[in-house]
Amino acid sequence: MRIRSMIGLWLGRATKFALKISGRSGTSLPGLVAGKVAPHLLQDLMAQLTEGVIVTGTNGKTTTTALLYAFLSEEESWLTNRGGANLHQGLLATMMSTSTLSGKLRIRKAVLEVDEATLPKITAFYHPSVILVTNVLRDQLDRYGEVDETLHLLKEGTEYPGTSLITNGDDPLAMSLGISRSELTYYYGFTQVPEVTSARADVRDGAFCLLCGEELIYDYFIYGQVGAYHCPNGHFQRPVPDFGGKYDGATKQLLVEESVSKDNQVYAIASPVKGIFNQYNLLAAISAARILGKSPATIRKGIVNYEAPTGRFQVFVGTPLRTLALVKNPTGANSVLRAMEEDAGEKVLCFAINDDDADGRDVSWLWDINIEEFLPRSFCETWICTGTRGLDMALRLAYAGVDRSKINVLDKLSQLVEETSGYVLPVYILSTYTALHPLSELLRKGVTNG
Amino acid sequence: MARTLRLVHLFPELLNLYADQGNLSVLSTRAKQRGIEVKILPVKLGTKLDFDQADLVLLGGGSDREQAIVGKELLAYRQDLLSAIDLGLPILAVCGGYQLLGEFYELPSGEKVPGLHLIDMTTHAGKNRLIGNIAIEWNTNAQGAVRTLVGFENHGGRTMHDYPPLGKVVKGFGNNGTDQKEGVQYKGIVGTYIHGPLLPKNPHLADHLIRNALRYRGYSDDLGDLDDRLEWEAHHSILNRMQIG
Ligand SMILES: [Zn+2]
Repeated sequence: MRIRSMIGLWLGRATKFALKISGRSGTSLPGLVAGKVAPHLLQDLMAQLTEGVIVTGTNGKTTTTALLYAFLSEEESWLTNRGGANLHQGLLATMMSTSTLSGKLRIRKAVLEVDEATLPKITAFYHPSVILVTNVLRDQLDRYGEVDETLHLLKEGTEYPGTSLITNGDDPLAMSLGISRSELTYYYGFTQVPEVTSARADVRDGAFCLLCGEELIYDYFIYGQVGAYHCPNGHFQRPVPDFGGKYDGATKQLLVEESVSKDNQVYAIASPVKGIFNQYNLLAAISAARILGKSPATIRKGIVNYEAPTGRFQVFVGTPLRTLALVKNPTGANSVLRAMEEDAGEKVLCFAINDDDADGRDVSWLWDINIEEFLPRSFCETWICTGTRGLDMALRLAYAGVDRSKINVLDKLSQLVEETSGYVLPVYILSTYTALHPLSELLRKGVTNG
Repeated sequence: MARTLRLVHLFPELLNLYADQGNLSVLSTRAKQRGIEVKILPVKLGTKLDFDQADLVLLGGGSDREQAIVGKELLAYRQDLLSAIDLGLPILAVCGGYQLLGEFYELPSGEKVPGLHLIDMTTHAGKNRLIGNIAIEWNTNAQGAVRTLVGFENHGGRTMHDYPPLGKVVKGFGNNGTDQKEGVQYKGIVGTYIHGPLLPKNPHLADHLIRNALRYRGYSDDLGDLDDRLEWEAHHSILNRMQIG
């Protein structure tokens, strides 16, 4: 290890220690300090990994990483950046947490969630054994400009030999990453439409052929641009998945049919997650675990250890039962609403919408959420909006046809727990990134006090 | 007499980057609440366009790739559009759709993409994107307590023209970040970089567009009041956050 990296490592640890004694742990400051002093520290630490898995993509990274970690860590120790610290300093903090004072990694296998824009910066010095791309959907516009740019970053981060790429074959944009690769590319996808999904007017960024610009023809949509597609000019089409999935909503079982192994294994896994987009995450994690040599039996054992990360349909037990879900873009929000439709009872629905940099300062995406489609199946008693852009969300609801007298706008995030405490009905809280952790804290406290 | 308005949404499958259907939803909801019958006519690429069948046209924003496709498609209808504009056809053009009204717009690569040249306006590529909340003072004779328009802008282009602007920049960048002008108002055209989308928090501008469409169709432009408390609260909360007023 470089001297400079060593100094960086010590300074980072000193910062962490100082924060700990002043009672302010859990920030990304140690990683930031170490990274500033020692730009190659992350490289020097990652070079020691004997096995590295990177999970990236627009939506579902955190849940997929948590699921895969549960499968992998069943038999041996793995490192992970739990909770979505997926930029350079977050990755550094994760690696530093297990290194000795002399900079040796104690755990040499890692499954890491990596932000799409950070990916090519990492793969410039480290090639993982497996890279998993969940999907390529529209993200915050002012962060990336356009979807084309995200795709370009992902291409750069996946186009080199020796790494297995696992990606969503039902998503034309994610699938396109595999076209120019011949070896070590695997697709997962659903072989059965999980429910009636046709005629949904969700945002479809990938609905055009990337090669000729022609509108793609779909046999069916599952969510967003994800479904069974083909270019009318024959440039590309949904591939037959190497890992095919069928989800049975009644038994909550995911049936996996493999065509990648010689013996064409078929097995069922009990799903611990809600909503079709999360069944995709589960199928993705299973595919990666299988490529890494884990047996279905190990996966079944590992799934018991799965805990929903903060705000990924995180349930706070109590009266009322409150569920916290992160929303950061229209496709993700539509998926969360669809998962809520599985609960056909009366409910209270809250939106906590902030517009800090990490949320996306442009909230025009709220108007791409398909509230109109959700409304007749919402069974929603009260709608509560809060956050710095709570009023924008309230207007979105009003123009979607929600009765204005049922919309309640709260000035402060902190009022949300008290405001919902009188209900017996289940409460769902959809929150953007910067409101998520404060809400999670408030809900934890609110529940223990109540 | 029952009034009917036909709202033509151009190429929603391509131009919908900044949630332009939000603007459409506001126009149609506010018209319907006044007892006006609304027909929304989404026009897909390759469909024959007839501007005699439109009382208000919406041209939204898309990515550079999508905008180029739209430009080519509309070029064939340039004469039709010019005649309709002369008669006062109301057009709301946002972001990329706004740029398309001019002679050309320049891509970051330096390539100049021809526009429809419906008005004398050019757009050059800037070094950086102009991004953030924006508030302008609306250039209008319309009566009403509120004269500001608020929203969000995100554009790389610097647009120049000599027409009356939609408004004067109070905070934000506007057409080019230098001359304090935002958007354009010429005959029935309202062009702007403001999205967010534009109309939900600016109900006075939404009603102005509806009135223009009613007059264009030869109807009375009477519009009753609506309960806009939520709209104004949202409008003023942006002004407060920008420390205006
Ligand atoms: Zn094609």
